[in-house]
Amino acid sequence: MTGNDSLLTAAGAAEPAEGLRAVRSLRTLADRLEALQVERARRRGWSWQQIADCLGVTRQAVHKKYGKVVP
Amino acid sequence: MFERFTRDARAAVTLAQDEAGALGAERIDADHVLLAAVRTDGAARRALASLGVQPDDVAAAVRAREGLDDEALASIGVDLAAIREQVESTFGPGALDAGPPTSPRTFTPDAKKLLEVALREAVRSRRRSIDTGHLLLAAVRLDETGAHAALGALGLTDDAVRDAVTAAWAAAA
Repeated sequence: MTGNDSLLTAAGAAEPAEGLRAVRSLRTLADRLEALQVERARRRGWSWQQIADCLGVTRQAVHKKYGKVVP
Repeated sequence: MFERFTRDARAAVTLAQDEAGALGAERIDADHVLLAAVRTDGAARRALASLGVQPDDVAAAVRAREGLDDEALASIGVDLAAIREQVESTFGPGALDAGPPTSPRTFTPDAKKLLEVALREAVRSRRRSIDTGHLLLAAVRLDETGAHAALGALGLTDDAVRDAVTAAWAAAA
């Protein structure tokens, strides 16, 4: 195997791994931002329905996810 | 299966729930069990200490794996530092570091497997009970789990950890 070949192999292996880690990090980032924003909205008196509308989910879904953590 | 666990291994399994909860995890995963095993006073902690790795180092490795990978995000053009700065100006310092605490009650398949393999390691080492050393050995053996990845991120090789556990047992005997 030449030096170039091994370099290409390494790049091929690294690319999906890095891409997938980026996807995972984006999900984590979105989850954490969602939690922060939902908590803030509730503290400002938003209803679960208003929050759900903004997030594009049902009121039940957002309440089930955050009802226990945020009053 | 827990009847064969020593007191320190039981304490570690209980602590794993707290570790997972503090990290905002929905379920207790293999790396939470590993972290708890190392935080508990026992063979696992002594073995890693002999390799220069402290419980807080393991905690950092576990957090990094579960958290936000700034390099991977940069590869798709997302500047995590800029996001962090913006979010912290609104929500305060450290706002992005972890999700809200949870109280997970179930184990992931990886975590269950780790406990089973720890049991097998105990049989293999001809010990009657499972201690934190066996939990650490199981993490070494299960190379597709987050627990193994966390050890790898600390630069620990499988052989070095195995030898260190054996030495920690010998020293305690």
